[in-house]
Amino acid sequence: MSNILEVKNIHSFINQYHILQNVDFVVPQGSITALLGRNGAGKTTTLKSILGLASVRQGSVIFNGREVQGMPPYEIAALGIGFVPEHRAIFRDLSVEENLKIAERSKGDLDRKREFIFNLFPDLKKFLNLRGTELSGGQQQMLAIARALVADNSLLLIDEPSEGLAPVIIEHMINVIRQLSERITVVLVEQNFLVASKLAEYFVIIEEGKSVEAGLMKDLEADKAMIHRYLGAA
Amino acid sequence: MKTTLRKNSKAIIILVVIAAFLFVAARGMSGKDVIITVLRGFSIGSVTFLVAAGFSLIFGLLDVLNLSQGTLYMIGAYVGWTVYVRPDTFVDVLTPILLILAGFSLSSLWERFAKRIQLGAKPQKIAAWVMILVGFGLLALILTRYPIASWDLNNYSQSPITYSYMADQGMPIIPAEAVFQKISPFVAVIGILVTSSLSAFSIALLNSGTATTETANWRKYFVPGVLVLVGVLALVFNARITSWMYGMNSNWLFVIAILVSVISGVGLGALMETTLIRPLYSRPIYQLMLTLGLGTIGVQIVQAVWGRPEFVLPKPALFTGTGGVCPATNLADLFENHCSTILLLGGRVRVYDEIFIPIVGIIVLIVVWILLKRSRIGMIIRAGVQDRQMVEALGINVRRVFTLVFALGVGLAAFGGALAAPSSGLTPMMGEKLLLSALIALAIGGLTSFPGAALGSLLVGLIQQFMIKYGQIGIPLPFTDAVFKPSPPLVPASTVLLMVIVLLILPGGLLGTKE
Repeated sequence: MSNILEVKNIHSFINQYHILQNVDFVVPQGSITALLGRNGAGKTTTLKSILGLASVRQGSVIFNGREVQGMPPYEIAALGIGFVPEHRAIFRDLSVEENLKIAERSKGDLDRKREFIFNLFPDLKKFLNLRGTELSGGQQQMLAIARALVADNSLLLIDEPSEGLAPVIIEHMINVIRQLSERITVVLVEQNFLVASKLAEYFVIIEEGKSVEAGLMKDLEADKAMIHRYLGAA
Repeated sequence: MKTTLRKNSKAIIILVVIAAFLFVAARGMSGKDVIITVLRGFSIGSVTFLVAAGFSLIFGLLDVLNLSQGTLYMIGAYVGWTVYVRPDTFVDVLTPILLILAGFSLSSLWERFAKRIQLGAKPQKIAAWVMILVGFGLLALILTRYPIASWDLNNYSQSPITYSYMADQGMPIIPAEAVFQKISPFVAVIGILVTSSLSAFSIALLNSGTATTETANWRKYFVPGVLVLVGVLALVFNARITSWMYGMNSNWLFVIAILVSVISGVGLGALMETTLIRPLYSRPIYQLMLTLGLGTIGVQIVQAVWGRPEFVLPKPALFTGTGGVCPATNLADLFENHCSTILLLGGRVRVYDEIFIPIVGIIVLIVVWILLKRSRIGMIIRAGVQDRQMVEALGINVRRVFTLVFALGVGLAAFGGALAAPSSGLTPMMGEKLLLSALIALAIGGLTSFPGAALGSLLVGLIQQFMIKYGQIGIPLPFTDAVFKPSPPLVPASTVLLMVIVLLILPGGLLGTKE
C-alpha cells in the first residue's frame, strides 16, 4: 500500500513561535490516521503545516508524491486536500447552500456531489437557506465536513470532530467518517480517545511539537501504559 | 412574527433610525426647507457612501485601513476634470501611460538575455540596482521630453481656473497642440517600452533573487500587445481624437470622464495593493503609516500639477438648462429642457447636486449589493471578511481577491470624486474632509457592514445639512425668546456627537457585528 501523505521531519512556525520541532509520520492511502496528544502538543499545527497555513521551515511534506511545503495554501488545497478546522469555521454571512457552493473548485462540483452529500447528511438538505450560524453545533460540524467533500478531494484533514457534541451526534459522526473512509483518506485530530480508537487504524502521538510514537491503533489500545503516559487517563 | 423581525432586523433598524432622525430634525422647519435639506443630505451622503463603502470593503477583507482613500477620491475628481475640460491633455498622457504599463507587463522578455549570463548573488543584486537606476533615469529623461499639452499654473489666462470658467460658460478655450520637438515619436515609443520593461525586470530580479521562468504563450503577450496598439493608435490619431472629444456632446464627454476616473482609480488601487501593501501584510502598523503617507504625497502631487486654488468641473449640458420653463415644475419640462433646477414644494432644487448624485449613489449601492450577494466573488469576499484562512484552505486564491477588492474600493472612491466634483468643486483638500466624514459614517454604521456604510453615510450627510440649515434659520429655544443658530464649526462636531452617542449604546455601530 502506498502512502498518500508523508510528513518528513518538519519544523513549523506560527508567527515567530517555533511550534513543531520534528514531526514525522506517513499516512497510508485509504486509511484513517489519528493524531493524538495533549492540548497544545501541536496536532492542529501539524494539520495546518500540511496545508501550508503554518510555515514549514525545515523538512518536507509530500502529498501524492509531490513536495508541497512552501507552496501557497490555496495551491496545496487544490491538489485535493479538504480541511475541516477546529470550531468548524462555518461562514456566518453565507447560507448553508453558499457555504457548500464556495468550496467548488470547478463549476458544477456541488451539483455532482449533491446526492452523495445529502445521503450522508440528510439534515443539511432541510436547512439549505438558513444562515450557517443558525445551525446547531452538530449540524455545523456536518456542514463543515460536507464543505470539504464538495470538491474532489483525496485527503481529508479533520480537526476535533467530536468537540462539544452530544454523544448521539458523535455516534452519527463516527458512522459518517467511517463511510467516507471508503473513498477518501482521513487524517483526524481527536482529543477523545474513545472516538479516535473507534475510527482510526493508525495513530501518531505528538508531544511538545515532536512525533513520539506511531503505529497501529489496536496495538495502542492494548498498551495502557503508553496511553497513560502520553494521553493521561483516557 | 419573531423570525420575520429577526430576519429583517437590519432593514427595520435602518428605517427606525432614519424616521426618528427626521422626526426630531424636521420639526420647526417649513416643508420647503425640509425637502431641500433632506435632498442635500442624501447628496452628501451618497458621495460619503462611495468613499466609505470602498474603505469598508478593503478593511473588511484585507484588514487594511486605507487612509489614502480621501486622497484617491480627490485624484478621481482631478482626473475627471482633466478628461472633461482638457481632453487634449488626456489624449497626450494616454500614450505614455499605456506604453509604460505595456513595458511593465513585458518585463519577462529580458529573461532570455538574462539566462545567458550567470552571476553570483551579490553581483546580480548590484546589476539589478544599476539597471533600475538606468531604466528609470532614461524613462524620466524621455518623459520630460515627451510633449504634453498642459495648463500653466503661473499664467492666469492659461490656468485650470480659466479653462474651467470658460468651459463652464460654454466657450471652451482650445489650446495649441503639443508637438514633438525634443524627441522623435519613434524614439519616444520604443524608449518608453524598453526602459520601463527593463526597470520592471530589474525590480523582479531584485525581489526574487532569480528571475522566474514561465513558459511563453500568446496569452502572455496579448495584454501588452493591446496596450501598445492602443497607445500607438492614440499617438498617431492624437489630433483627430482630441478634436473629436472637444466637439463631443458634453453629456457623453462627462460619461467618459467618469469612466476614465473610475478606471484610473481601479488601476491605481491594483498597483498600490500589489506593489506597496502586499509586502506588509504581516506588519499592519506599517501599512497604516504607508497609506497615510501616500495620502499626503498624493495631495502634494495634485497641488504641484493642478495647483492649490479651487475650481469647478462644469456640469454637462443635461443639467445646465436655464430660462424658458426652467425651473421646471414637472418632469416633462425637466426632461425636455434639461433644467438645472426644479421646483419642489416651492423650493428650488438643483437637479445635478440634489437629484442626480443621490440616484447614482443608490444605483451604486444596489449594484455593489448584488455583486456581494449574488456573484461568486461576492461570496468569497463575504466569507473572507470572516475567515481568510478557511477560504484559502478551500483552494481559493485569496490574494487575487485582495487585489480585486482593493482596486474596487479605490475605484469607488475615485468615482465619488468625479461625481462630486461638479457640485463641490475641486481643491487638493477635498479628500481630507470627506475621509473624516466617511470614517465617522463607518463608525456609526458598523465598520465592516456594507449596509452600515450606507446608513452611516446617509445619517452623516443629513445631520450636516440640517445643522447648516439651522445655522441659517435658527432653533427657537424653549421657555425663552432666544434663537440658537449653530455656528459652522458645529456642523462637523454634530456628526462626531452622533457617533459618540451611537457608540456608547452600540459599540459595534448600528449594523455592526457584536464582536
